[in-house]
Amino acid sequence: MLAFSLASCEVEGERTKDGQNNQVIMPASVLKYSGDFFSTPGITVSGSAKIYLDGNQFKVNLENFSISDGPDLKVYLSKADTPSEFVNLGNLTDARVYAVPTSVNVWQYPFVLIHCQQYNHLFAIAPLTEN
Amino acid sequence: MKKILLMLTLFGVCHLQAQGCSDAGICSVGNAFGIAERQSKNNIELGSTIGTGEANVQYFSPYLTYARNWNAQLELAIKVTFNLAAGDFGKRATFGDAYLVGNYHWKSDKAPKWSTLIAMKFPFTSANLKINGYSLPLDYQASLGTFDLIAAVNLNYKNWDFNAGLQLPVFNINRNSYFSEFSGTDDFASTNLFERKPDALFRIAYTHKTARKFAFKPNVLFIYHLGEDSYETIFGQRENIVGSDGLTINGNLIGLYALSATSSIELSVATPFVVRDTRPDGLTRSFTAGIVYKVSF
Repeated sequence: MLAFSLASCEVEGERTKDGQNNQVIMPASVLKYSGDFFSTPGITVSGSAKIYLDGNQFKVNLENFSISDGPDLKVYLSKADTPSEFVNLGNLTDARVYAVPTSVNVWQYPFVLIHCQQYNHLFAIAPLTEN
Repeated sequence: MKKILLMLTLFGVCHLQAQGCSDAGICSVGNAFGIAERQSKNNIELGSTIGTGEANVQYFSPYLTYARNWNAQLELAIKVTFNLAAGDFGKRATFGDAYLVGNYHWKSDKAPKWSTLIAMKFPFTSANLKINGYSLPLDYQASLGTFDLIAAVNLNYKNWDFNAGLQLPVFNINRNSYFSEFSGTDDFASTNLFERKPDALFRIAYTHKTARKFAFKPNVLFIYHLGEDSYETIFGQRENIVGSDGLTINGNLIGLYALSATSSIELSVATPFVVRDTRPDGLTRSFTAGIVYKVSF
């Protein structure tokens, strides 16, 4: 029992509190690309991916988004509908806005993917079109 | 006695930022497995270390070892580790690794005496424990997520022990997903899908037994990390972690008190003197202190 309770020990800290890395889309941001998600077999997904330009910063916004649970889901900006050439934007959490590194040419990445890195399993794809 | 107190003081006040001997496995070679009581068939060892690592992460790392002497030469052991790490990212605790160890003592009536050790390390996790969905650096992971082969040889000559060993990751299930870019701090290196290189070890230990029930075992441990570790960048490209190879030198002092003919208690302190430039594997300790209870039956 002691071993079990110790084994499940997980206490948040200063850097892992909820909402720590939450980004927002500012009202003046310009919508540049958007697309609806569709899922891979066995997965349920809904919502869309929209890319806004906020000053000099591109941001991916997952709108009305929900997806089946997965152990290690990441948000990718991808050159194809499979995770071969991509930019990892971080863990899929309750946060819905993900900053794109400024060095990335967004127009070269016409897909947003939700991918389980731990088991290398693709969950959902959003093909983007220019607005 | 004054010399011993001086050494304890020196070990106690050193606070270098470096790779300690928390346990990549190889640090146990010739130590935890090699000095088990060999007159009894069964030996149990319950121990724990506390330590301080990079960015002031605090560690509590208990372990349990069961060893059985099958005959005068062969000893087999199993060891299970547990790790609690606490720091700015929070607290995370879980079981770390299991070790299966075979230690063969070659027949010899006189010095020097040789023994060889073969061990396997099995990880309990893939080094991707999170808190609140946030990925954690390897410093907070209980295991590196590698199946390792450990081979070592020990030469005992009078009061001296010389160990040489190799720890080779043979199968990697590390799925760590920590990026310093997303964490808001550069205290820890990015270790997404970390791949680790082998270690070579050399240790010199001197055992001084007093007339009473005490023994002291100062030792120096050299660990050479045989290549740069690597990780996958946010662009999916594998990249070497510059400066993660090279030499670490640890000083370690063990004091042992025999409680009875079949049980003993052991205290140890350790700190590194020479360090690698970059230490992404989370084995970094500026200082560790340990206590071990051993009983044989």
